[in-house]
Amino acid sequence: MTRRERADRRRGLLLMAPTLATLAVLTVYPGAWVLWLSLQYRVPAFGVDRFAGASHYAFLAGDPRFWSAARTTALFTVASVGLELVLGVAVALALVGQRRGRRLAFSLLLLAWAMPAVVTARLFEWLYHPAAGLLNVLLGGLDLNWLGDPALALPAVVLADVWRTLPFVAVLAYARLLGIPTELYEAAQVDGAGRLATFTRVTLPLLRGVLLIAVLFRTLDALRAFDLMFVLTGGGPAGTTETLTVYAYRGLFQMLQLGFGSAVGVVVFALVMLVAWAYLRLLRAGEAAA
Amino acid sequence: MRGRRAVLLAALLALAGCAERPPGDGPVTLVFKHARILGPADPFPGLLAEFAAAHPGVRVTSESLPWSSDEQHQFYVINLEGRSPGFDVMMLDVIWVPEFARAGWLLDLTDRVRPEELAPHFASTVAAATWAGRVWALPWNMNVGLLYYRADLLAKYGLRPPETWEELEAAVRTIRAGERDPRLEGYLWQGKQYEGMVVNVLEALWANGTRLLGADGAVFPEPARAVEALAHLRGLLATGVSPRWVTAADEELSRRAFGDGRAVFLRNWPYVLDLVEAPGSAVRGRVGLAPLPGRVRGAGAGSTGGSHLGISRGTRHPDLALALVRFLTGERAQRAMATGAALYPTRTALYRDPALVARNRWLPRIHDLMLAGRPRPVTPSYLLLSTTLQPELSAVLVGLKPPARAIADARRRLDYFLASRR
Repeated sequence: MTRRERADRRRGLLLMAPTLATLAVLTVYPGAWVLWLSLQYRVPAFGVDRFAGASHYAFLAGDPRFWSAARTTALFTVASVGLELVLGVAVALALVGQRRGRRLAFSLLLLAWAMPAVVTARLFEWLYHPAAGLLNVLLGGLDLNWLGDPALALPAVVLADVWRTLPFVAVLAYARLLGIPTELYEAAQVDGAGRLATFTRVTLPLLRGVLLIAVLFRTLDALRAFDLMFVLTGGGPAGTTETLTVYAYRGLFQMLQLGFGSAVGVVVFALVMLVAWAYLRLLRAGEAAA
Repeated sequence: MRGRRAVLLAALLALAGCAERPPGDGPVTLVFKHARILGPADPFPGLLAEFAAAHPGVRVTSESLPWSSDEQHQFYVINLEGRSPGFDVMMLDVIWVPEFARAGWLLDLTDRVRPEELAPHFASTVAAATWAGRVWALPWNMNVGLLYYRADLLAKYGLRPPETWEELEAAVRTIRAGERDPRLEGYLWQGKQYEGMVVNVLEALWANGTRLLGADGAVFPEPARAVEALAHLRGLLATGVSPRWVTAADEELSRRAFGDGRAVFLRNWPYVLDLVEAPGSAVRGRVGLAPLPGRVRGAGAGSTGGSHLGISRGTRHPDLALALVRFLTGERAQRAMATGAALYPTRTALYRDPALVARNRWLPRIHDLMLAGRPRPVTPSYLLLSTTLQPELSAVLVGLKPPARAIADARRRLDYFLASRR
C-alpha cells in the first residue's frame, strides 16, 4: 500500500464517520438496548425490573401463540411476495405492450401504492363486508365470511397487501423493460424464438437483477407486516392473522411486558437479518455469474 | 454544614414554588386530552369557554387522541412513561384506571374528593374509578350492554322480550320461520377478536352465574360454568341463531345490519338508540330495549363501560386540573354532553331530568339497566388478561378449539405473565 493509498483510505474513513456514527446511534444502540431488555422481566407500570436470563425465549419456544404468529408471518410473506412478483411482472408487461393510455394506467397503479396502509385496510374492510361487501356481490351473491372465517382471513389480508404493493414490483419491472434494447427482441425473432421462449430466454434473465431487489425489499417489509392486519382483523379470528410484529405490539403496548415484547422483537429482527443476508448472497452470486 | 443545608432547603422551596404557579400570575394553560366526540353538536367548545370565563387567566387546550382505543392506550403508555407527559387532564377508558393508578401515572384524588361528591354517580362507575381503596378519577360518561329487539316483529308473533337464552333462541326460530326472509338474521353481537368480544364473553359468563376473575384473583374460578357459557356462544353461531359473520363483527358492523332492519336482536351499547331512532332510520319507532337474557330468568347483566377523567401526576397545576375535571364531570357538563353528543351521564339524577327525558324517552329504562350493569374486572392487569384471552376465545367462537382447551391454554399463558408481575 503506498502512502497515497493509505491517505485515501484514511480520508475515506473520515468521510464515512458521520454515517457510521449516525447508524450506530440510530440502529446499533436501540438494537442492543432491545436485546438487553429481552433478557429482563421489565414491567415499568408495575415496578418490575429484574434479570430474566433466557426465560422469555424459553417460554416462546413452547408458546403456541408465538409459533402460530411465526407460521402466519411465513405464510403471509411467501404468499404476498410471490403473488406480487408474478402479478407485478404481468402488469409491467401489459404496460409495455400498451399503445394508448399508458400514462393513465401508470397513474392509477401508483395510486394504490401511494395510499397509506390504514386507508387501504379501511377500503378493504368495506369490500369484505359480509352482507354488503362488493366482493361478495361480485362473486354472485356469495356470503363468504372473509374476515371472520379462520380459513379466509389470511388470504383476505394477503389480497389487500398484494393490491397495495403490486405497483412497487410493477414499476421497477416496467422501468427495466423499457431499458431492454429492441435489437435483442429482433435477434430472438430472427432466431425463430416464439413468445414464450422470448420471455423466458430474453426478458426474464434481464429482469432477474431488478426482481431480486424488489423481492428483497418486499420480503423484508412483509416479514414486519403490521398495519393491514392490525386494522382489518386485529390478528383474528383465533389469532390466524396475527403476525410476529402484531404479537410483539400486543406484548409491548397492551400487556406492557417490555421484556417479553422485546424478545419477540429480537426474533423478528434476527429473522429479517437472516433473510437479508441470504438474499444479498444470492444477489452477489448473480452478479458474479453475470 | 448547617449553612449548606439551609441553602439546599431554600433551593428546594424555590423549586417547589416554581412547580405550582398560582393562577393570575401570567396565563396558565391546561391541556385536556380526549377522544373525538361524535354527535349532532359538539358540546366541547362551549363548555371549555364557560370554564375559561369562570377562571380568568386559564386557557384550556383540548387535544384529540388517536381514533381507536388500542392506539389511545399506546399513546398514554408512551407519553406517561416519560417524565413530562405534556397534558394535565386525560380521558380514560374505565378499564385503564387501575393500571394507570398502579403505574403511578395518575394523581391520587382520595384526599381532594369527598365521598359525597361521588355519591351522585352510579356505584359501579365509582367502583371502576377506585383501586386499592383510593380514588383516581371522576366518572364522566357511561355505557352498558343491552338487548335491542324489533318490537314490531315480536308483537306480530305474540312474543315478549326474551329473558333467557332459551327464549331468545326460540324467538329467533319462530320469527325467522314466519318471515321467510333469508336476509333477516337472528341475534347479532360482537365476536371479532378484540376487546368488544371479551365484553360479550364476560356477559355470557355472568349470565351463567360465574365470572372471569374470582375473589382470590383466580382466572375462570368455575371452569365448568365458563365452559357452558362459551359453548352457548359457539352454539348461537353453529345453529344459525346468529349469522357466521358475527365472528368478524364489531359494534358498528352489527349496529348497521340491525339498523337496516336485517336482524331481530342486537346486543350493543346505548349509543345505538340515537341512530335507530333518527329520522330516515329503517327501523325508526320499531325498536325496543331490554336487559340481556340470562341462562335463567334475571341472571343477565350488561357490562358497563365508558370513560373517566383523570389527572396526570406530572401536572404543574393539580388544583386547576381538578377544577376542570369537576366542571366537566358536573351536572351541567354531563347534561350538555347527553344533549349534544349522545354520551350517557354517570349522574343518576340526570336520568330523571324532564328536559332530557323529553328528548330521549328511554332514559328511565337505561337508568335501570345501568344500575344493574357490572364493571369488567377492576384490576391493573385487565389489558393483559384481555389481550391474552382474545385469540383463545375467538378460537372457541369459530369452532377451532373446544371451550375447555381454550380455557386451559389461556390459564397457562396468564400464569407466566402474572407470575412475572409479582
